[in-house]
Amino acid sequence: MNPAAGRGAHPAVLAPPTAVGAAPSAPRLRSRLPGLRGRAALALTAVAVVLTAAVAVGVWVFATQYLLFQRQSATLGQAVANASLVQRGLPAEGLSRAQLLSQLPRETGSVSLLVDDGEWNTTSLRIGHDELPESLRTAVQEGIPSRQRIAVDGDPYLAVGIPLAGLDDAYFEVFPLRELDNTFRVLGVVLTLSVFAVAPVSAAVGWWVTRPALRPLDRISAAAAAIAAGDLSARIDPRDDPSLVPIAASFNATAAALEQRVRADARFASDVSHELRSPLTTMLNAMSLVEAYADDLPSDGREALALLRSEVRDFERLVADLLEISRADAGNADLVLEDVRPAALAREALARRAVSGRGAVELNVRSDASDVVVRADKRRLERVLRNLVDNADTHGGGLTAMTVERTPTSACIVVDDSGPGVPEAERSTIFERFARGSGSARASTEGSGLGLALVSRHVQLMGGSVDVTDAPGGGARFVVRLPADGGTEGEP
Amino acid sequence: MGSSDAMARAVLIIEDDDRIRRIVSITLRREGLEVTEAGSGEEGLARLAERPYDIVLLDLMLPGRDGFEVCREIRRVSTTPVIMVTARADSHDVVAGLEAGADDYVTKPFVAKELSARIRALARRTRASGARPRVVVGNLEIAPQDGVVTRDGEVVPLTKTEFKLLAELAAERGRVLSREELLERVWGYDYFGDSRLVDVHVRRLRKKVEADPANPTIVTTVRGMGYRLPE
Repeated sequence: MNPAAGRGAHPAVLAPPTAVGAAPSAPRLRSRLPGLRGRAALALTAVAVVLTAAVAVGVWVFATQYLLFQRQSATLGQAVANASLVQRGLPAEGLSRAQLLSQLPRETGSVSLLVDDGEWNTTSLRIGHDELPESLRTAVQEGIPSRQRIAVDGDPYLAVGIPLAGLDDAYFEVFPLRELDNTFRVLGVVLTLSVFAVAPVSAAVGWWVTRPALRPLDRISAAAAAIAAGDLSARIDPRDDPSLVPIAASFNATAAALEQRVRADARFASDVSHELRSPLTTMLNAMSLVEAYADDLPSDGREALALLRSEVRDFERLVADLLEISRADAGNADLVLEDVRPAALAREALARRAVSGRGAVELNVRSDASDVVVRADKRRLERVLRNLVDNADTHGGGLTAMTVERTPTSACIVVDDSGPGVPEAERSTIFERFARGSGSARASTEGSGLGLALVSRHVQLMGGSVDVTDAPGGGARFVVRLPADGGTEGEP
Repeated sequence: MGSSDAMARAVLIIEDDDRIRRIVSITLRREGLEVTEAGSGEEGLARLAERPYDIVLLDLMLPGRDGFEVCREIRRVSTTPVIMVTARADSHDVVAGLEAGADDYVTKPFVAKELSARIRALARRTRASGARPRVVVGNLEIAPQDGVVTRDGEVVPLTKTEFKLLAELAAERGRVLSREELLERVWGYDYFGDSRLVDVHVRRLRKKVEADPANPTIVTTVRGMGYRLPE
């Protein structure tokens, strides 16, 4: 046996509470960006719009150039043909200039003009000498065939000038470009609309297409969430998704390492606790034997024996609690859920307490709470009640009341004591391991320091919650809530 | 309760931890029991072969042949009540130990002084057995005075605890006995025993006395209440 085990364990356990209250709240780094899927869809949309716009511009440029080129060749051909007709017809029988022009074959809407010895003839009232720009007239009259886009009353035209044989003589023909412009406009509208239409369509397609693509991410996040919630056996199954294999492998390796460590820690605590049970058995029995001779001991010997007894009892409880909490840490593998009546268990807990010689405390059962049933692990719930009762008796100045009541969704077990209560600031830390309150009665060194931590662990494992408030009489009030079974019907 | 047990009960302790074995043996001797110590399973079985004991205190974590194996071996040769000592209160160990034939269990750390009352309760044959009449259920005959159960005239080999369990049910034939009542009557628990003791023993008992243990007709379960021997 190692005598240091008994001596060493106690001071460590009774070390003053560390600053557990200053648990840093993790800084929130989440940005306001849309989710990964949203961003992917957005990027896809942007790419689609840019590509479509580029294609549209290309189509526009090519189509307009090509159509314009075609139109220009056609008009030039006609103008040249007409010019040669005019050239040949000028010296002929006495046709007037106007007659000559009007006989020329022309497409609808085109206008012919003739300059002969400085005299202008035209087939249209709207288009005459003034409508042709100066530069065009000069160039043609200097013998250079030319063409130029002009606008007459806002309508687009193409003016083609062909110099004739005679000095200063020239033939002009003005072709309407309105139809071509209309074609361009329609083409432009169609292309623009198609660019705009691509945006929502590609966004929708992107959203739809990224769903299966990002589904592996859901699996990763589900596994991570499961581990965070305490299920250390959660793993990512890459299934048939090769892209998931590397991240799944590293995630699973990390999770396995974590699980192994936590299990090893829990097993260590459990092994330590088991190893301590044999020496503890010898100590308890040896002490009990020596106690038989207590009356023969001098008074200081009796006091020493009393101190020894108290330490051994604490040690016994610590070993039991250590085992219990290491089991809880190892997971809920041995959680045995059954239908349990909290009122019955609470009554038993009080009966146990009465057996151990404490004053009797009656159980208050609020109407309709007597047969409320919860799904719970009976052994764990018994432990929870025992620890709360012990806590009230050793740290809370004594148990004053125990109440069972029901709410629409849960069953509550309320344990009141007559101590100084738990200050607001300590209410979240009091359920931590080896946490010791600052209140005078609570700061006492009795108990293992694991009792309330166990209460919290066990209640959580059973899907419930526990918290502490003020009792009406001034002490602390611990409230255990467990989800009630829908067993009793017709209840509000 | 010492008055009705004037005769010193003989206890065999099989425990490899010298310190525990010594202190438990000292304590039980002071409680008026006659104690023999064995440091291993083999030694324990050897002692048991030399003379009868009223009770065996058996540690489950033994080097060499472990407690379960030793327990099964004891059951092969005797009906002596066995209290197993386990460091683990986990369901597996306790139920496995009871299935192996143990009659009761204690978990470390335990106080031997408190154990002596349970030892006496288990070592006792039956309560006020002399006044009890024979009971016949189907082809089964229970004779409390003789401590014998026969089926079609043949003796059914029951352990002392199995017999006590059956005798208590027979004495209150037709009435439902709760697990708590049975714990008190058979095992001598004043408060809050482990009801698994009752359930595992009923299971063991049925294997021996029922024609079809899966559909019991002699020891029947009354759901949520307990067990009963039908009229």
